[in-house]
Amino acid sequence: MSAAVSHYSKGFWQLTWRRLAMDRVGVVSLIIVLMFFMIILFSAFGLIASDWNHEVAINDAPPDLWGILTDKHTSVIQPSSNNTLSEISEPLPELSVVDPLAEDIAKLRTPIDFSSHIIDPLADTLRDIGYSQYVSTDPTTIEKRTSLPFGGDRWGRDVLKKTIKGTQTSLFVGLTAALLATFLGTLFGAFAGYYGSYIDDTLNWIYSVFNAIPYLLLVLAIAAVLQKRGIATVVLILGLTGWTGVFRLIRAEYMKHRAREYVMAARAFGVSSLRIMFIHILPNVSHIVLVEISILTVAFIKSEVILSFLGFGVAVDDVSWGSMLNDAQSELILGHWWELVAAGGAMALLVTAFSLFTDAIRDALDPKAQGAGA
Amino acid sequence: MLRLTHYLLNRAVSRFCVLCIGSVLSMFMPTSAVHADNGEPKVLRVAFPTAETGFDPARVHDMYSSTINESIFERLLTYDYLARPARLTPMVAESLPKISDDGKTYTFRIKRGIYFSDDSAFSTPRELVAEDFAYSFKRMLDPRLRSPWAFMIEGKIAGLDALVEKAKRNGKFDYDTPIDGLYVVDRYTLRITLNAPDYNFNYIVAHTPFSAVAREVVEHYGEDIMAHPVGTGPYRLKQWIRGARIVLEKRTDYRGMVWDFQSNDKNDDPLIREMEGKRLPLIDRVEIFIIEEAQSSWLAFERNELDYVGIGVFRDKVFEHDGSLKAVWQKQNVRLVQAIDPEITYTFFNFRDPMIGGFSKEKLALRRAIIMAYDRQEEIRVIRKDQAIQANMPIPAGVVGHDPRYRPLNRYDPALANKLLDAFGYRKDKNGWRTLPDGSPLTLKLATGTTAIDRQFNELWKKAMDKIAVHIEFNPGKFADHIKATKACQLQMWGTAWIADYPDGDNFMQLLYGPNTGQSNNGCYESSAFDALYEKANRLPDSPERNHLFLEMTRQMEVDGAWVLGVSRKSNVLVRPWVLGYKRHPILNAPWLYLDIDLTLKQ
Repeated sequence: MSAAVSHYSKGFWQLTWRRLAMDRVGVVSLIIVLMFFMIILFSAFGLIASDWNHEVAINDAPPDLWGILTDKHTSVIQPSSNNTLSEISEPLPELSVVDPLAEDIAKLRTPIDFSSHIIDPLADTLRDIGYSQYVSTDPTTIEKRTSLPFGGDRWGRDVLKKTIKGTQTSLFVGLTAALLATFLGTLFGAFAGYYGSYIDDTLNWIYSVFNAIPYLLLVLAIAAVLQKRGIATVVLILGLTGWTGVFRLIRAEYMKHRAREYVMAARAFGVSSLRIMFIHILPNVSHIVLVEISILTVAFIKSEVILSFLGFGVAVDDVSWGSMLNDAQSELILGHWWELVAAGGAMALLVTAFSLFTDAIRDALDPKAQGAGA
Repeated sequence: MLRLTHYLLNRAVSRFCVLCIGSVLSMFMPTSAVHADNGEPKVLRVAFPTAETGFDPARVHDMYSSTINESIFERLLTYDYLARPARLTPMVAESLPKISDDGKTYTFRIKRGIYFSDDSAFSTPRELVAEDFAYSFKRMLDPRLRSPWAFMIEGKIAGLDALVEKAKRNGKFDYDTPIDGLYVVDRYTLRITLNAPDYNFNYIVAHTPFSAVAREVVEHYGEDIMAHPVGTGPYRLKQWIRGARIVLEKRTDYRGMVWDFQSNDKNDDPLIREMEGKRLPLIDRVEIFIIEEAQSSWLAFERNELDYVGIGVFRDKVFEHDGSLKAVWQKQNVRLVQAIDPEITYTFFNFRDPMIGGFSKEKLALRRAIIMAYDRQEEIRVIRKDQAIQANMPIPAGVVGHDPRYRPLNRYDPALANKLLDAFGYRKDKNGWRTLPDGSPLTLKLATGTTAIDRQFNELWKKAMDKIAVHIEFNPGKFADHIKATKACQLQMWGTAWIADYPDGDNFMQLLYGPNTGQSNNGCYESSAFDALYEKANRLPDSPERNHLFLEMTRQMEVDGAWVLGVSRKSNVLVRPWVLGYKRHPILNAPWLYLDIDLTLKQ
């Protein structure tokens, strides 16, 4: 007999949490999702993978999990000047082109291989800074790893660090775009469902227009119009195109709730429409919003991958799973599989975990579901 | 001829084809084929890495459309298939032209009995006559047509430019008034008179844009002419699915010719044995698939869906470490045909751009620092997988005027580039990026495509510019849009390529000649010093004196920082054993007329 329990009924969120905790798959996927969130937090604050852009290994360094212990390095000569031509046995005839930079450059280096008549306006400066046609600064030797735990990419960057940085980009894009899309969908849905009549008609018309265009085409068209590449652009594209599903659900819910007694009562009290919509009704449909956010996050992570893969995604100095897959596609046929596996694996893991978590949370949020303490 | 810098064009859709190209190809494979005279038709299947734009010889500017035109239309002269260096031979002319002593008058006699392929524009079979060439050459300068090849004859043919002036005033080009420069002596004789001696004129009339088109056809189809090529050549356009597939069919009424070529290269002996004495053309149908992703065309070749393919970046799939052909290919008797294309890639700077253009010392220093920061060796090694050699002159190897002794002025040296920028006041702002000397922000905008290979180039550029703390942005777009912006001097920087139209240095140096701005001078580079050298060279025949001028011009464009010179690509082509007679020609791009297929080997 537990008298304390019977004194009050448990709150909605408390019950939800109870139900979620009972779902083993849900908990595991929640832990995985949280792990990913930790990774992106660390990476966003520069604690890990901030040096993903460094070329630490040789080109296309193969993956080698033991390599981290043996830590093999090789010396790579980095020429500071390209002396790829064999030394000229026969001198060139004199040229009359005046190099305006000749003197400048000559000051930086020793004289050129033939005295040209062409005036170089920069000649003085170049001489000042030590230019020479023959002599170049000594090549530097740098140490590079021969293998990396997860392999290196084309330029010798660590694929593991790229994956972490890519996780940050992809998850950030997925979440913010989902929030934007859900916000728009909820807002429009609330107005359309609550007011009905011509507001509903107008919003429905916009919704139909968006829905009538094949999704990927719409996304690519907006990407082409926006021109400027970058994470913000991708978020904007996905957010602006992805709100339609949420809109339809929320609109239906608001139409239902509009006729409920508590709304009638509020209206009779003279509560303003905005207050009814967002203070009274919204909490009652919030579980739908929450589920939609998680569904859209997964969808947008995938969309970002597609966009970046097609070359409309993140900028060159950023990395995302999509851009990694894009990089990997031309390397795959040469047998460099590790970048594809790393990015694909990370994506598969997060998307699966997030989807399972979404399922679990949807079950948990359903007040009619049978669960502990219900 | 303008060519893609990379071997791909930017089409988002193409990515899907990595997965689906196999099914697309099999979808297009004909189930019931048109049969040739004796049994099974000889069908050659090849891939283009970029979509065609159309088939009006005077108007198309890209190599791939022009390749199609090469086999549909005919010129006065063409090149010998086997002779190296490339040698001119007559095509529809009876012989090489009679040239007057002062080098100004060229008289061509056209073979009798050459007919255009049947078309609704003609009521009766239409014979090729001298007037057709007079018409076609005039058409190149029609202001309404805006031919990208006009520069090749502009100011050269007596009386023609007066016609152009008149057309600009009246708004209508007068094709009917005869001019001295293009005088039709009789039905089969054309006398061309030049304003000044031009030692490259024979090369010009051998160039695909200078093919004969029939006036009736041009007037019949009007604006739609790009889709209706009607020529006298061995093939006609059978089917055209834009951006996907082009089918050429052998003309049954083509006059034909006998394969009879000599070579001074012993390696060509088997080829000569294969082909000698055969009556051409032998290929009944050429099927061209547009496959933009190199990987897809490679896989299609592996699956035997293409008859030959350029190996591109797939060196590792073709060669053993010692450079020999892999056993898997040897077992299939696949042949490797190697050559270095007479081409260069380059990234131009727009000299009219307020940020990087102009001839002041600061701008010179900026451009040259950018050139010094870009690592071409890494481009060759990492992106091009050693399938290219560094270009040091605007004139590539194998073209008259190239000098292997020339050492470039602006060599890779980021440290020096930094010092140079420091010396000219390109200080760093609080974010670490360099500003212009007046303190305003400095941002480079490099035009680019959206394919995987474009991204690799962008990464390399980003790395290079980071070394000198110059901020760079990328402006993604379509090849065709970039070309349009380039011709209007609106792109700041873009990487492009040029392959020889004819094997003479002039064909490359004209890319930098001031008056060619808006046509082939992509960087809108107008240097009076360079132009003076160019004009001087233009008046000279091939000689050490002219070669020296080419060196001077090279030095001048380096001093001005006109281009980031790129590479010359190696053309390594894998050819299936049943394709007979294949050899890479430095100028001709459509070898189909000269090939045969051994159907028994193909079985």
